[in-house]
Amino acid sequence: MLDSATLNTLAIRPPGVVMDLERLGSLTASRLSFSRSLLRQMARQRWQIQRERFELDEDGFGQTIYRLQTPNGRYHVVIFSHPLSDDQRSDRVTAEAWDLTFGLVEGDVEEALMCSLAENLPLQEAGRQNPQLLVISRANKSTRNFDAFVTALSRGQQPSIDDLKSAGYLYRTTAVYGNGKFGIKDYSRLSDNPDFRQPFAAQMIAVYVLRQFSIDQLEHIAARRAPGTAVPLSDAIQRYVGIGNSTGLGMAPFLINHPLLINQWIYCREQALALAKANLPDEAARDRLVALCERAQQYYLESQIEDKDQVERNSTLLEELAHVTAWLQQMPAESTLWYQLTEWGEAALSLETQELLNSLLIEIYPESVDPLEDEMSVEEVQDLIPDMPLIQLKQIIETQFDWALSQDLTDPDERYWFWYRSIEKEEPRLGVRGVDQGEEKEIALAIGPRVQQVYRLLESYLEANPTGVAVDFLLEHSRVVDVVRRIQSMSNTAYGEIRGNLWHRELRPMHLLRTKLSFLGAGRFDPRGDRWVRVTFFQGAPSIAELNAEPADLSGFDDWSFALAPHQT
Amino acid sequence: MMVSYNELQALSRKAFLGIGFSEAQADDAADMVCWMESHELNGLVELNQALQRILAEDNRDKSPELLYQDADLAIIDGHDMSVLQCSHLPLELAFAKARARGLGVLKIRHCRQRQLIMGYLARLASRGMNITALWRHAQTPLTEQVVGFRANSTVPSIRIYTLEEIPDENKLNTGITVIMANHVDLLPTMRSDYSYDLLARHEESELLEVEVRRRASGDGFDVPSSLWDQLKTLAQRTFVESFEGSQLGAGPLD
Repeated sequence: MLDSATLNTLAIRPPGVVMDLERLGSLTASRLSFSRSLLRQMARQRWQIQRERFELDEDGFGQTIYRLQTPNGRYHVVIFSHPLSDDQRSDRVTAEAWDLTFGLVEGDVEEALMCSLAENLPLQEAGRQNPQLLVISRANKSTRNFDAFVTALSRGQQPSIDDLKSAGYLYRTTAVYGNGKFGIKDYSRLSDNPDFRQPFAAQMIAVYVLRQFSIDQLEHIAARRAPGTAVPLSDAIQRYVGIGNSTGLGMAPFLINHPLLINQWIYCREQALALAKANLPDEAARDRLVALCERAQQYYLESQIEDKDQVERNSTLLEELAHVTAWLQQMPAESTLWYQLTEWGEAALSLETQELLNSLLIEIYPESVDPLEDEMSVEEVQDLIPDMPLIQLKQIIETQFDWALSQDLTDPDERYWFWYRSIEKEEPRLGVRGVDQGEEKEIALAIGPRVQQVYRLLESYLEANPTGVAVDFLLEHSRVVDVVRRIQSMSNTAYGEIRGNLWHRELRPMHLLRTKLSFLGAGRFDPRGDRWVRVTFFQGAPSIAELNAEPADLSGFDDWSFALAPHQT
Repeated sequence: MMVSYNELQALSRKAFLGIGFSEAQADDAADMVCWMESHELNGLVELNQALQRILAEDNRDKSPELLYQDADLAIIDGHDMSVLQCSHLPLELAFAKARARGLGVLKIRHCRQRQLIMGYLARLASRGMNITALWRHAQTPLTEQVVGFRANSTVPSIRIYTLEEIPDENKLNTGITVIMANHVDLLPTMRSDYSYDLLARHEESELLEVEVRRRASGDGFDVPSSLWDQLKTLAQRTFVESFEGSQLGAGPLD
């Protein structure tokens, strides 16, 4: 953590700017994203990953195990691939069967454990999972990509990579569960294990290994289909294969229910940006930024997205990136260059382009930025401060939750939606207030209206009790304890609260999903409406073979953002 | 069946919400149960008793009643509710008094499943408060329990004993007395003019060992299926049944 003197000299953006929901919904992955920092850690610590078991039939169905050896422990990724009919293939959380199911196991996989996994992993939520598991997940094929790749390889040809520009994967996961879900291990038990110091490290490890399986399975099927003719997938295309993820509203509550963690992520990103900008620009750094802008430009040119809004956003971004590159090439590398760039960006560029530029600025200064990856975790405790004077509580609301007080909840548009959990696998959903069933079971995700409620109650209580403290007030209004506790706990933070009204008719839940996905390291953001999105992880990332080769050039190994399609003849 | 800490906490929380607890009550109650069980102090047994009692009575409109308070002392009527429902705010009140005055005393009359209060006391102790709580389990033989937390300690010392000589005042007592001190240790030391028979004694070190062992092993909790099913049923009260078009509330079908 930076000392306060350093922090004061850095131009850190205020929360009113950063926590705007639309801006958060424009974030892109950066070098602080968890998929990036995980691979850096793996390479730095010389992790080794070996395929230990590969028992697949000619159609690629069966069991596979990969062994991971780290300096601190041994883990296994166990994968079961199953036949699945097309009509069963669904990305919804309500699905009950998938093309494959897999899990990350701590320690060795004895036969008894393997039997238990074979019985329960394919059932996912419906099974009782083993406490040696750290992660469970499932994935469905991109049948178009998979079939085309098998066909090409079995004919002795490399597949066309055109389809990977729209769906950059052979498999997409539909939920990745960790932290004690369905009987697997609690992450609090891993707090001393340095392999998992990053949030979501275990999930990212499992997904990274699944990427290798998707290629191994593909090559296996092709080889069985055409022995002697089939060829392996080229190294360049292997790198261009990622793992997809299909995500819906299920991800949204996390952003609201973990404000201290979200604060930490965003605070680190904002520190990284401020530290990057505080570096004195030189020709080399400017050239590097121009090169990254050009790479990003090419990446977006190659991306084939279906969603109309996202296509429009990407096309604006492409246009603006061309201006940015031209601007950078003409400007002298003077000391204020980065500040000039971001100030111009704020005035003239779309949010999408601004945040992309911020990610690229962060990218060019690894020495300044990378130590922050150790600060992305935080202990999430919200305790009441019972003796806080109510006048202070009121002042905190007025200064830090002014965005909540400004919501006009008498306007029907401001209270249009309500959030609830469906009985179908507890999936979070949106209902129209006054129209849809379930309003009486609304879940308290919209923080703004609840803060406003506390403020109104406080105003009235304070009139009669001007010297009261928090606990006096709460003894009369016990149903708002959670909100008061949250306000107090967040009072020393800047970035935990997302400044939007989650009831508003114009709410785009997609912004919530993208916020989290950007920190996980997702790319190729392809929304399906405003509540579903498909993304790709690890596209362009080094393969397991490259990792096992113990790369000498760690910065080269780490340079895989905005993956470009390999050239094909 | 074996369940993880996170699962027990999440499902208990939802079950408490299903019963009608407020968000904070549900959070705190789930934490109290999990704290007890993870220290092998029969959290699940107490939870089961609490559920049966809560479900048998309709406590939805009840809340703890402040009978008296001054700068040092508060007396609350728990109206026969479980400490899961009636203790967290009174304990915060005592905490505030102790911070202001050096020592605060809280008496909660008429409350149930008092063992579970240790889960919330642990949380207050971690915030730098020394705490002692005393309550009586039974009148014949007269059994008392004293629990003491050192400030910033995660575990208490516990003594449970029967008194051989019954004092004159021995009416049914379902209350609990909590003393909090900002600066002074309040750990139980057994000295009394009454002769007593020590039934159970848990030292801090012993409970710390449990904490460390459980943390290292990563073992979950062995929850009776009937209790798990009951928690699930209660949790379902918070979910909305499917209705025509309800899946669209999560986005277009794939």
